[in-house]
Amino acid sequence: MELSSILIIDDDAASLARLVRLVSELLTDQQTRIHTADSLGSALVLLQAHQFDLALVDMQLPDGTGIELVGWMQQHVPQLQAVIVSAFAEEESIFAALRAGAAGYLLKDREDIELTVALRSLQRGGAPIDPMIARRILSLLPIVQAPVAAPATPSVHLSERELGILNHVAQGYGNREIAELLGLSRLTIEAHTRNIYRKLAVGSRTAAVYEARAMGLLP
Amino acid sequence: MIRWLLLVLLSACAALAHAQATEVIRIAHAEAVRADWQSPAAPVQGWVQVPLADQWQTRWPDHDGVVWYRLRWQQGDADQPTGLLLDYTCMAAAVYLNGSLIDRDPSLVEPLSRSWHVPRYFLLQSPLLKQGENELLVRVSGLAAYQPSLGVVDVGDPQALQARFRKEVFVRHDLQVLDSAIGFVLAAVIGMFWLLRRKESMYGWYALSAVFGRLYDSNFFASSPWPFPTTDGWQAFIGACYVAGAAAHTVFLLRFCERRWPRLERVLLAIAVLVMAGALLWPQWMGPNRNLYLVPTIAFLYAVSFTFMGYALRSGRRDYQVLALCIILPIAVSLHDLGVYMGWYGGVSYLGSFTSPLMLLGMGFVLAYRFANTMQRVEGFNAELRNEVQLATTQLADNLQQQHALELAHSRAGERLQLVRDLHDGFGGTLVGAIARLEQAPEDMPRQEVIGVLREMRDDLRLVIDSTAREQADLAELLAPLRHRTSGLLDAVDIQAHWHLQDIDGIELGASRSLDLLRLLQEGLTNVFKHSHAQRVDVHLRRQGDQLQLHIDDDGVGLAQGADGVVAVRTGAGLASMRLRARRLGGELQVSPADNGTGTRLALVLPLMA
Repeated sequence: MELSSILIIDDDAASLARLVRLVSELLTDQQTRIHTADSLGSALVLLQAHQFDLALVDMQLPDGTGIELVGWMQQHVPQLQAVIVSAFAEEESIFAALRAGAAGYLLKDREDIELTVALRSLQRGGAPIDPMIARRILSLLPIVQAPVAAPATPSVHLSERELGILNHVAQGYGNREIAELLGLSRLTIEAHTRNIYRKLAVGSRTAAVYEARAMGLLP
Repeated sequence: MIRWLLLVLLSACAALAHAQATEVIRIAHAEAVRADWQSPAAPVQGWVQVPLADQWQTRWPDHDGVVWYRLRWQQGDADQPTGLLLDYTCMAAAVYLNGSLIDRDPSLVEPLSRSWHVPRYFLLQSPLLKQGENELLVRVSGLAAYQPSLGVVDVGDPQALQARFRKEVFVRHDLQVLDSAIGFVLAAVIGMFWLLRRKESMYGWYALSAVFGRLYDSNFFASSPWPFPTTDGWQAFIGACYVAGAAAHTVFLLRFCERRWPRLERVLLAIAVLVMAGALLWPQWMGPNRNLYLVPTIAFLYAVSFTFMGYALRSGRRDYQVLALCIILPIAVSLHDLGVYMGWYGGVSYLGSFTSPLMLLGMGFVLAYRFANTMQRVEGFNAELRNEVQLATTQLADNLQQQHALELAHSRAGERLQLVRDLHDGFGGTLVGAIARLEQAPEDMPRQEVIGVLREMRDDLRLVIDSTAREQADLAELLAPLRHRTSGLLDAVDIQAHWHLQDIDGIELGASRSLDLLRLLQEGLTNVFKHSHAQRVDVHLRRQGDQLQLHIDDDGVGLAQGADGVVAVRTGAGLASMRLRARRLGGELQVSPADNGTGTRLALVLPLMA
């Protein structure tokens, strides 16, 4: 994916600097514009003024939550890849962000190299995932996928493959292991993950907002 | 009120008497002479003039036996049918007109026939009736103690006299029988109430008082002292019935007012029993001296009745007031009867026993009133019950909810406590260790090392969070995040991580030991990631009996061939920390070259139970 314009939103200066550094290290050979914002308000101003390919959104902003911003982006600039950045992985809020349309998430407490790996995966069109989120998504699915019962709830419909990937992730298998086990490329695994997130967000906007509200993430 | 009623009654009687006076002659004087019980004919000697009606005990106080009365009147046309009316003869009597017997009671000696207020009517005509003077002889058998007497005698228009006779029979006999019948039926009905509902003793007392009262009333129509052999026996018995009835009536009124005065009640009942026993055992004394106990009893009944009426008026209760009303008239009537009994205004027209229908109405109302009240209460009770049940249900629900909330709070508190304990056991140790390390570090400690310490702490915290966020603390579950993460990390530097987990499902080491094991694994793999330059790492975790075996094998450069000095130091520090954790887990960390010669093997055997 061509990442020529990136928006990074974080109210913590050090954290923001770290993200800027990691992104610029990753994209040294490209002409990339990096914009930064330290609040939801200033991010909205930038979003209306410029076009962005990728947005890294901190979960906690002084004037709102990253989830709100992700939801706004999904509605107004759907082509923009929004990635939520969380200081300490809170399973519920990350999940809410994915439901709101986030293409993936980064955990700030990880090593630089891990974040770089994740960013690289995003660049390739994939998405990072970990067992907790996989488990959370699996818990959302009906245990037996009965074709009759399905339409009643606007639940997520995953393919066999996607389901298999989630199950392996939940058990702690690394992407390479999963790729070997399922006879796929690592890239495909990441793409599947991205697809799962997309399915999670499709048609579930109201559900996501509702969930975020229920969790107190949205006013 | 009572006086007024009496006046009305008396004036009514007087008016009746006046209306008949025109065609009827009242014989107001007679001659009387004493005789013995067996006297076959009127004596010749000893006649005295007496006014009628005559009670001979006022003249001959001790005379028990026979008194002959002689009356004379002038008759015009003897062929004209003429009526003769004797008001009463107390007790038994035989009647002769012009020497012929025209009437005779069955028994003129003890047990005396009881004709004490029975009127006698005769239709006379020639030849029995004579023109000119006629002589009427009335042989009265009586006892001085029981007002032996002859009432007034009237001669004249047979229609008028017969009408009066019928009226008197109706009043003195028929009505009394009717009254008694009603009284007994009422007593039986109310008594059944009591039988079926003993708790309402008021009805029992009413029935008892009614039975005794009606026995007393039977005096008004009994024609002989049967089953008693003498008049004394009968008189004593009905006197005792009166006392017993009064006692039962008093207790009834008390119960009616929902009162219980045990001492008074016992005294009353004792008196009643004593009088009854006396009447049955010594009738010859109890009969003649009945005024000794009857007069106080009558006075007592008045007191009781007036007290009750006062109470009822004050109570404001409808059923009390109705019963009180039903008692007022009988009291008025009984005052009249008292006068008759005492001989204050002559005559034998006792009215006392016409009170049963009134009492029937009163008691009927009381019963209906109380029944309606009870039904109302029952209906109200249903509603009340429904409310109570609803209230109880709500309270129960509230209680359960509170209990549930409490339990929830308890379990939350317990969870928090567990979390705090996990933090303390897991992260606390790391923090204390880090502080110690930083304290012992030289002043010019490189920044990288400080950051390294902080990173370790962060990793520990991450693991604590990961392991407490699980629903199950199963080792396989706990390993998943670490495995996934390190796999990604090792992938990034092209080291293939291979995990071999055997029989580790269901192993629970507890928060502190789990953290130690995960930390040890993490450090081992971090070392592989940072220093080994390996291409592959194999993680074996296997349960063997009550032990857990762990190896981490890499195909890297090996420990001894560690690169620069800094790395060696850091590896050393990492190893020391791993050894410490291994000891805490109850095992010894073995660091050795891998089997194939290159690379490193970390091995640890730890017991499953601490």
